[in-house]
Amino acid sequence: MSSPAYIQTGMELSLPSELGFEVIARDAVAAFARRLCLPADQIEDLKTALSEACINAIEHGNSLNPDLRVQIYCRFEGERLIVEVIDEGVSPVAPKNAPLNVVDKIAGLGSLRGMGLMLISQLCDEAGFVAGKDGGNCFRFTVSRRHANGVGY
Amino acid sequence: MMLEDELTVSTRERDGVAIIDLVGDVTTFAEEKINTAYREVTNNGARFVLLNFRQNDYINSAGIAILIGIVTEVNRNSQRLAVSGLSQHFQKIFRMVGLAQYAEIYQDEEEAIVGFKRVA
Repeated sequence: MSSPAYIQTGMELSLPSELGFEVIARDAVAAFARRLCLPADQIEDLKTALSEACINAIEHGNSLNPDLRVQIYCRFEGERLIVEVIDEGVSPVAPKNAPLNVVDKIAGLGSLRGMGLMLISQLCDEAGFVAGKDGGNCFRFTVSRRHANGVGY
Repeated sequence: MMLEDELTVSTRERDGVAIIDLVGDVTTFAEEKINTAYREVTNNGARFVLLNFRQNDYINSAGIAILIGIVTEVNRNSQRLAVSGLSQHFQKIFRMVGLAQYAEIYQDEEEAIVGFKRVA
Protein backbone atom coordinates (compact mmCIF):
# COMPACT_ATOMS: atom_id res chain seq x y z
CA MET A 1 0.00 0.00 0.00
CA SER A 2 1.49 3.33 -0.98
CA SER A 3 1.11 6.49 1.07
CA PRO A 4 -1.41 9.04 -0.11
CA ALA A 5 0.18 12.06 -1.78
CA TYR A 6 -0.87 14.28 1.11
CA ILE A 7 -2.39 13.39 4.44
CA GLN A 8 -2.92 15.23 7.68
CA THR A 9 -0.27 14.11 10.17
CA GLY A 10 -1.94 15.25 13.39
CA MET A 11 -5.14 14.42 15.23
CA GLU A 12 -6.75 15.23 18.58
CA LEU A 13 -9.47 13.44 20.51
CA SER A 14 -11.29 14.27 23.73
CA LEU A 15 -13.07 11.56 25.74
CA PRO A 16 -15.17 11.44 28.88
CA SER A 17 -13.64 9.35 31.67
CA GLU A 18 -15.90 6.37 31.27
CA LEU A 19 -14.72 2.86 30.50
CA GLY A 20 -15.70 1.92 26.99
CA PHE A 21 -14.66 5.21 25.41
CA GLU A 22 -11.13 3.86 25.13
CA VAL A 23 -12.51 1.52 22.45
CA ILE A 24 -13.77 4.46 20.41
CA ALA A 25 -10.41 6.20 20.78
CA ARG A 26 -8.60 3.00 19.84
CA ASP A 27 -10.61 2.60 16.67
CA ALA A 28 -10.10 6.24 15.70
CA VAL A 29 -6.33 6.09 16.26
CA ALA A 30 -6.15 2.78 14.37
CA ALA A 31 -7.92 4.41 11.41
CA PHE A 32 -5.45 7.30 11.60
CA ALA A 33 -2.54 4.83 11.61
CA ARG A 34 -3.95 3.05 8.58
CA ARG A 35 -3.94 6.36 6.71
CA LEU A 36 -0.27 6.63 7.64
CA CYS A 37 0.29 3.16 6.17
CA LEU A 38 1.53 1.48 9.33
CA PRO A 39 1.59 -2.31 8.87
CA ALA A 40 -1.30 -4.31 10.33
CA ASP A 41 0.65 -5.87 13.20
CA GLN A 42 1.94 -2.47 14.33
CA ILE A 43 -1.61 -1.16 14.27
CA GLU A 44 -2.68 -4.04 16.53
CA ASP A 45 0.13 -3.14 18.94
CA LEU A 46 -0.89 0.51 18.78
CA LYS A 47 -4.51 -0.37 19.54
CA THR A 48 -3.56 -2.27 22.67
CA ALA A 49 -1.12 0.43 23.82
CA LEU A 50 -3.67 3.20 23.29
CA SER A 51 -6.41 1.28 25.09
CA GLU A 52 -4.20 0.64 28.09
CA ALA A 53 -3.02 4.25 28.28
CA CYS A 54 -6.64 5.46 28.13
CA ILE A 55 -7.76 2.99 30.81
CA ASN A 56 -5.02 4.28 33.12
CA ALA A 57 -6.08 7.87 32.49
CA ILE A 58 -9.77 7.08 33.00
CA GLU A 59 -9.43 4.84 36.05
CA HIS A 60 -6.50 6.42 37.84
CA GLY A 61 -5.76 9.88 36.48
CA ASN A 62 -9.41 10.94 36.43
CA SER A 63 -10.71 8.46 39.02
CA LEU A 64 -13.60 7.35 36.76
CA ASN A 65 -15.23 10.77 36.99
CA PRO A 66 -17.17 11.02 33.68
CA ASP A 67 -17.15 14.82 33.89
CA LEU A 68 -13.38 14.86 33.52
CA ARG A 69 -11.81 14.54 30.10
CA VAL A 70 -9.01 12.51 28.61
CA GLN A 71 -7.19 14.24 25.75
CA ILE A 72 -5.35 12.30 23.07
CA TYR A 73 -2.88 13.95 20.73
CA CYS A 74 -1.40 12.02 17.82
CA ARG A 75 1.19 13.28 15.40
CA PHE A 76 3.41 11.68 12.82
CA GLU A 77 6.96 13.03 12.71
CA GLY A 78 10.10 11.57 11.21
CA GLU A 79 8.47 8.21 10.55
CA ARG A 80 7.28 7.97 14.15
CA LEU A 81 3.72 8.07 15.39
CA ILE A 82 3.77 9.94 18.69
CA VAL A 83 0.75 9.60 20.97
CA GLU A 84 0.08 11.55 24.16
CA VAL A 85 -2.71 10.63 26.55
CA ILE A 86 -3.43 13.36 29.10
CA ASP A 87 -5.80 13.28 32.05
CA GLU A 88 -6.79 15.94 34.58
CA GLY A 89 -4.55 14.59 37.32
CA VAL A 90 -6.95 13.71 40.10
CA SER A 91 -4.40 11.14 41.16
CA PRO A 92 -1.00 10.09 39.83
CA VAL A 93 -0.92 7.27 37.30
CA ALA A 94 2.78 6.45 37.45
CA PRO A 95 3.25 3.45 39.78
CA LYS A 96 5.40 3.92 42.89
CA ASN A 97 6.70 0.35 42.73
CA ALA A 98 7.67 -1.97 39.93
CA PRO A 99 4.66 -4.00 38.79
CA LEU A 100 4.45 -7.60 39.94
CA ASN A 101 5.08 -10.30 37.38
CA VAL A 102 2.53 -13.01 36.71
CA VAL A 103 4.29 -15.50 38.99
CA ASP A 104 3.94 -13.15 41.96
CA LYS A 105 0.36 -12.33 41.07
CA ILE A 106 -0.58 -16.00 40.95
CA ALA A 107 1.21 -16.48 44.27
CA GLY A 108 -1.17 -13.91 45.73
CA LEU A 109 1.48 -11.28 46.43
CA GLY A 110 -0.56 -8.40 45.03
CA SER A 111 -3.28 -7.19 42.74
CA LEU A 112 -4.01 -9.13 39.58
CA ARG A 113 -4.34 -5.81 37.76
CA GLY A 114 -1.54 -3.44 36.83
CA MET A 115 -0.08 -4.92 33.66
CA GLY A 116 -1.04 -2.11 31.30
CA LEU A 117 2.15 -0.09 31.51
CA MET A 118 4.29 -3.20 31.08
CA LEU A 119 2.34 -4.11 27.96
CA ILE A 120 2.69 -0.63 26.50
CA SER A 121 6.43 -0.58 27.12
CA GLN A 122 6.84 -3.89 25.32
CA LEU A 123 4.62 -2.97 22.38
CA CYS A 124 6.05 0.49 21.68
CA ASP A 125 9.47 1.91 20.91
CA GLU A 126 9.34 4.47 23.70
CA ALA A 127 6.86 4.95 26.50
CA GLY A 128 6.71 6.94 29.71
CA PHE A 129 5.27 9.86 31.63
CA VAL A 130 6.37 13.34 30.62
CA ALA A 131 5.66 16.74 32.13
CA GLY A 132 2.08 17.73 31.39
CA LYS A 133 0.19 20.99 31.46
CA ASP A 134 -2.09 22.05 34.32
CA GLY A 135 -1.06 19.21 36.61
CA GLY A 136 -2.47 16.36 34.57
CA ASN A 137 -0.66 13.12 33.93
CA CYS A 138 0.78 13.02 30.42
CA PHE A 139 1.74 9.61 29.09
CA ARG A 140 3.60 9.54 25.79
CA PHE A 141 4.44 6.59 23.59
CA THR A 142 5.83 6.24 20.11
CA VAL A 143 5.65 3.69 17.32
CA SER A 144 8.22 3.82 14.50
CA ARG A 145 6.68 2.95 11.17
CA ARG A 146 8.16 -0.23 9.84
CA HIS A 147 8.69 -1.26 6.22
CA ALA A 148 6.79 -4.25 4.92
CA ASN A 149 10.09 -6.17 5.02
CA GLY A 150 10.33 -5.55 8.76
CA VAL A 151 12.97 -2.82 8.62
CA GLY A 152 12.32 0.62 10.04
CA TYR A 153 12.55 3.71 7.89
CA MET B 1 -21.66 3.62 27.52
CA MET B 2 -20.88 0.26 29.07
CA LEU B 3 -19.33 -2.83 27.61
CA GLU B 4 -20.76 -5.57 29.80
CA ASP B 5 -22.87 -7.03 27.01
CA GLU B 6 -19.94 -7.37 24.67
CA LEU B 7 -19.05 -10.91 25.80
CA THR B 8 -21.03 -14.14 25.55
CA VAL B 9 -19.81 -17.02 27.72
CA SER B 10 -21.05 -20.60 27.48
CA THR B 11 -19.79 -24.02 28.53
CA ARG B 12 -19.81 -27.45 26.95
CA GLU B 13 -17.90 -30.73 27.19
CA ARG B 14 -15.98 -32.50 24.45
CA ASP B 15 -13.82 -35.61 24.80
CA GLY B 16 -13.35 -35.07 28.52
CA VAL B 17 -12.44 -31.40 28.13
CA ALA B 18 -14.58 -28.67 29.66
CA ILE B 19 -14.76 -25.93 27.07
CA ILE B 20 -15.59 -22.36 28.03
CA ASP B 21 -16.46 -20.42 24.88
CA LEU B 22 -15.67 -16.72 25.13
CA VAL B 23 -17.22 -14.85 22.23
CA GLY B 24 -16.52 -11.12 22.19
CA ASP B 25 -14.52 -8.65 24.22
CA VAL B 26 -12.72 -9.65 27.42
CA THR B 27 -12.59 -6.62 29.71
CA THR B 28 -13.28 -5.79 33.34
CA PHE B 29 -16.99 -6.37 32.66
CA ALA B 30 -16.33 -10.03 31.84
CA GLU B 31 -15.34 -11.03 35.36
CA GLU B 32 -18.62 -12.40 36.64
CA LYS B 33 -19.44 -14.30 33.46
CA ILE B 34 -16.03 -15.96 33.21
CA ASN B 35 -15.79 -16.82 36.90
CA THR B 36 -19.31 -18.25 36.90
CA ALA B 37 -18.52 -20.45 33.90
CA TYR B 38 -15.28 -21.63 35.49
CA ARG B 39 -17.04 -22.47 38.77
CA GLU B 40 -19.69 -24.39 36.84
CA VAL B 41 -17.25 -26.63 34.99
CA THR B 42 -15.17 -27.13 38.15
CA ASN B 43 -18.23 -28.10 40.18
CA ASN B 44 -18.97 -30.63 37.42
CA GLY B 45 -15.55 -32.21 37.99
CA ALA B 46 -13.54 -30.79 35.08
CA ARG B 47 -9.86 -31.77 35.05
CA PHE B 48 -9.10 -30.21 31.67
CA VAL B 49 -10.34 -26.71 30.96
CA LEU B 50 -10.13 -24.98 27.61
CA LEU B 51 -10.79 -21.26 27.23
CA ASN B 52 -11.91 -21.10 23.62
CA PHE B 53 -11.77 -17.52 22.33
CA ARG B 54 -13.77 -16.34 19.33
CA GLN B 55 -14.30 -12.93 17.77
CA ASN B 56 -12.17 -11.26 20.42
CA ASP B 57 -11.39 -7.88 18.96
CA TYR B 58 -10.61 -6.47 22.39
CA ILE B 59 -8.85 -8.12 25.32
CA ASN B 60 -7.38 -5.61 27.74
CA SER B 61 -5.24 -5.85 30.88
CA ALA B 62 -8.33 -5.99 33.09
CA GLY B 63 -9.51 -9.00 31.09
CA ILE B 64 -6.07 -10.56 31.39
CA ALA B 65 -6.24 -10.04 35.16
CA ILE B 66 -9.45 -12.11 35.21
CA LEU B 67 -7.66 -14.88 33.34
CA ILE B 68 -4.75 -14.76 35.78
CA GLY B 69 -7.34 -15.29 38.51
CA ILE B 70 -8.57 -18.37 36.64
CA VAL B 71 -5.00 -19.67 36.44
CA THR B 72 -4.73 -19.28 40.22
CA GLU B 73 -7.86 -21.37 40.70
CA VAL B 74 -6.75 -23.95 38.14
CA ASN B 75 -3.51 -24.45 40.06
CA ARG B 76 -5.37 -24.70 43.35
CA ASN B 77 -7.75 -27.29 41.89
CA SER B 78 -5.00 -29.32 40.16
CA GLN B 79 -6.59 -28.86 36.74
CA ARG B 80 -4.92 -28.26 33.39
CA LEU B 81 -5.70 -25.14 31.42
CA ALA B 82 -5.30 -24.30 27.75
CA VAL B 83 -6.47 -21.50 25.49
CA SER B 84 -7.41 -21.58 21.81
CA GLY B 85 -8.73 -19.32 19.11
CA LEU B 86 -6.68 -16.23 19.93
CA SER B 87 -5.47 -13.99 17.12
CA GLN B 88 -1.72 -13.78 16.55
CA HIS B 89 -1.71 -10.43 18.35
CA PHE B 90 -3.39 -11.72 21.47
CA GLN B 91 -1.23 -14.86 21.46
CA LYS B 92 1.70 -12.46 21.62
CA ILE B 93 0.07 -10.51 24.45
CA PHE B 94 -0.55 -13.69 26.44
CA ARG B 95 3.12 -14.62 26.06
CA MET B 96 4.23 -11.12 27.07
CA VAL B 97 2.32 -11.21 30.34
CA GLY B 98 3.51 -14.71 31.13
CA LEU B 99 0.22 -16.59 30.82
CA ALA B 100 1.83 -19.07 28.42
CA GLN B 101 3.73 -20.49 31.40
CA TYR B 102 0.48 -21.69 32.84
CA ALA B 103 -1.71 -22.45 29.86
CA GLU B 104 -0.83 -24.05 26.55
CA ILE B 105 -1.78 -21.84 23.62
CA TYR B 106 -3.36 -23.63 20.66
CA GLN B 107 -4.51 -22.25 17.35
CA ASP B 108 -7.96 -23.79 17.58
CA GLU B 109 -10.20 -26.12 19.54
CA GLU B 110 -9.26 -29.22 17.52
CA GLU B 111 -5.58 -28.73 18.23
CA ALA B 112 -6.29 -28.15 21.91
CA ILE B 113 -8.31 -31.36 22.23
CA VAL B 114 -5.44 -33.32 20.69
CA GLY B 115 -3.03 -31.59 23.05
CA PHE B 116 -5.08 -32.49 26.12
CA LYS B 117 -5.28 -36.13 24.98
CA ARG B 118 -1.50 -36.19 24.78
CA VAL B 119 -1.14 -35.26 28.46
CA ALA B 120 -4.18 -37.14 29.81
